[in-house]
Amino acid sequence: MEAVRRSIPSLITACVVVALPFLLLACGDDDAKPTATNVGVGSSPAATAAAAPRKGGTFVISASSDPGQLNPAITTAGGTHFAAGSMYNGLVDLDKDFKPAPDLAENWTVSEDGKTYTFKLAKGVKWHDGVPFTSADVKFTFEQVLLKFHARTKAGVEPVLAGIDVPDDLTVVFRFKTPYAPLLQQLNVIEAPIVAKHIYEGTDIQNNPANLKPVGTGPFRFVEYKKGQQLTLERNPDYFKPGLPYFDKLVFTIIPQDATRVLAFENKEVDYVSLPGADVARFEKLDGVVVGRSPAGSGGSFCVSTLIPNLDRTPLDKLEIRQALNVAIDRQRMVKQILFSQGDAARGPMASTLWSFDKLLPAFDYNTQKANDALESAGAKKGADGNRFKLTAVMPTSQAKLAEILKENFAAVGVALELQLLEVNEANQTVFVKRDFDLGFASYCNGPDPEIGVRRVYDSTNIKPVLFSNGAGYRNPKVDDLFNRGVAEVVREKRVPIYAELQKTLLADMPYFWLLETRNAYAVQANLKDLRPWTSSLAEYAWLDK
Amino acid sequence: MDGRLAAYVVRRLLQAVPLMFVVLTINFTLVHLAPGDPITFLAGDQGNTQYFAEQRAKYDLDEPIAQQYGRYLLNAVRGDFGYSFSYGQGVFSIILERVPATLLLMLTAQALASVLGIFGGVLAARHRGGWVGTFIRTGAALGYALPVFWVGQLLILFFAFRMGLFPTFGMESPRSDYAGLRRIFDIAVHLVLPAVALSLAEVGLLIRITDASLRDLEGADFVRTARAKGLKERTVTYRHMLRNALLPIITVLGGRVGTLLTGAVLVEIVFAWPGLGRLLFQAALTRDYPLLMAMFIVSSASVVIANLVTDIAYVLLDPRVTYG
Repeated sequence: MEAVRRSIPSLITACVVVALPFLLLACGDDDAKPTATNVGVGSSPAATAAAAPRKGGTFVISASSDPGQLNPAITTAGGTHFAAGSMYNGLVDLDKDFKPAPDLAENWTVSEDGKTYTFKLAKGVKWHDGVPFTSADVKFTFEQVLLKFHARTKAGVEPVLAGIDVPDDLTVVFRFKTPYAPLLQQLNVIEAPIVAKHIYEGTDIQNNPANLKPVGTGPFRFVEYKKGQQLTLERNPDYFKPGLPYFDKLVFTIIPQDATRVLAFENKEVDYVSLPGADVARFEKLDGVVVGRSPAGSGGSFCVSTLIPNLDRTPLDKLEIRQALNVAIDRQRMVKQILFSQGDAARGPMASTLWSFDKLLPAFDYNTQKANDALESAGAKKGADGNRFKLTAVMPTSQAKLAEILKENFAAVGVALELQLLEVNEANQTVFVKRDFDLGFASYCNGPDPEIGVRRVYDSTNIKPVLFSNGAGYRNPKVDDLFNRGVAEVVREKRVPIYAELQKTLLADMPYFWLLETRNAYAVQANLKDLRPWTSSLAEYAWLDK
Repeated sequence: MDGRLAAYVVRRLLQAVPLMFVVLTINFTLVHLAPGDPITFLAGDQGNTQYFAEQRAKYDLDEPIAQQYGRYLLNAVRGDFGYSFSYGQGVFSIILERVPATLLLMLTAQALASVLGIFGGVLAARHRGGWVGTFIRTGAALGYALPVFWVGQLLILFFAFRMGLFPTFGMESPRSDYAGLRRIFDIAVHLVLPAVALSLAEVGLLIRITDASLRDLEGADFVRTARAKGLKERTVTYRHMLRNALLPIITVLGGRVGTLLTGAVLVEIVFAWPGLGRLLFQAALTRDYPLLMAMFIVSSASVVIANLVTDIAYVLLDPRVTYG
């Protein structure tokens, strides 16, 4: 009894210490964070701009990872592009509908056979160190930098490019071996940033000191990079686009943790934050904050979360089995519980926001009974343990919740799913390199053209030990041919029916399980106007309305 | 420095060489056997097989691991620890840039922990059996047990977000170009919450150790003598008992350098503090082998040096201990 009496103070103290933080937080003044009017909920901040843009101010952007080196032409890493994109330009910009618009090239012509693109460059463009920009920079960038080190542009353009000519200082001609349609979608600052020949020529490009102190042509120029802390840029006073940019200073501040980043934004210490799905609904109720969504960003655009069946293994090599399992997946539950309704259920191999998506495609069914019946007719009978067969799903730990839903969905139709949740690199290696899986997972980003990010997933020549390649091991000559026809047709309107047929063929073959379309959600303070979150030069037109 | 001390230091440093070699070997093997491909992070995740092969060859990653290790050792002996894959810069210059931030955080946390921990321990010992003693000891146990990242989040939520007393993240305000005293003040304000979060477990531990050491001395002859002389209890505690209780406390303080470094990783991530912990985390995520290896060397060396300093302090504080 004495022992119990003596332990009472300890217990009370322990309870008070544990409960104290919660009590303190609960006592906080909820009214201090206003929840009144919704400003432009769900809309692009650009849409809210009405007054004339004005110059001045500092724009603080929170970034989740340290960019590392700052040369976007030698990597596809999203962190580098997000921070460095504002210091560079591409030949061609993409507007908010992903249509080509002038950037370093002020206009261009495409030959009728689709094999020659001629670009006229903007006049009076200077590098940040004052040296004039010329067509020689473009030729050098493509031949010595992008086609060597920018993995995506190298993979897309190199096999078809015949040569680059520079007849004069302000003209660049791209010649292709075969007609090549997607080029104008591959020349923006993310896919093909132009770097300075006089800085990089004759050097080890990957280890050139300028990669940490960039000299670009972009709207902002480099001031200081404190690694792991922040990157500071200032307005380029000699920018070739008259009047731009508006901000005096751009600061990328690096905050690795989601929760801290969101609190820093709410505390008005930063002006831009990319939002985790779970926070979007709450942010939409905050006064003075605009929540926006974009299908694209520096790291990837038009992304589709995809379950990859290994078509070289039974029973997923059977079409009937794949079709049956596809009906067993509850995508709407995934949208609610994983994306917090900040995205959509996928409707096919392309994101529904991409121009080439076939809008006639219906949503996938979710019908357990239908799935059970289909599996039964496919000959997959239930065994003594109640299971028809077992599958091993290799998934990254970040997809644990999705894996659990899949496990429940498949269990409901008598398919036992054994989950192997691995660190993301190990999961990718196991699926794409070792090919030791029944089901794998990847977020395949389509890019602004099917040739950029869709073809690699289905092309039979792309079954190789490379991440985000044709992981299923899918082979269909008709599909390869449709991609070839799509890339050779220069007029977009004529490409649409080709890709519609492609999507129908893929849906009939069901070589993958397309699950979710993700969106990038972000928040900015309401007085920030004309942000361009779909490019990596997001503040080129941005300004602060007092 | 007296000759014996110098010889002792040299001997200990020489003993550390094989230790560092073992640490280097184990870490090199672990880092290279861990899954993940640095080329993916270096070049991006798309590309053709030939391109990845070229990149692997460029960084000697296509060689057998033993050969890579041999090359690494040879270069290391020459003082060349390589270039970081993600920064394209010599690894030690990157590490050096980050040392001040981590040192500032660790030393502040350690100083805070020493003062609060020893004072709290003495207070707990002097009020043994009472409410004050129980409160301090229970609080210490909790402080030691609570996960540092959770405490960090709560500190941000309450003191930065709700009360607005401190900034939520970072080491300096991103909007300002402070210099001189204003900059020092700005950094100090940013330092408070991370230092408190990092020191909490240390405070807890030191309270328990100080309290226990003082309790062990309760029955000692010199304590009884001091009390018999009619000295005040405060004098007995601080001048006689605490000085003798310091040895185990110093052992703990020195031995905690490694723990503080690991704790700093979590605190630096939660508070976006731009120190070595964050660098280590990022290097591990991006499989930046040269940077990771250099970080391991630096952290192992700091533990070795901290142990050496502890042992020297031991000798200086206790005449009974000699250089052995």
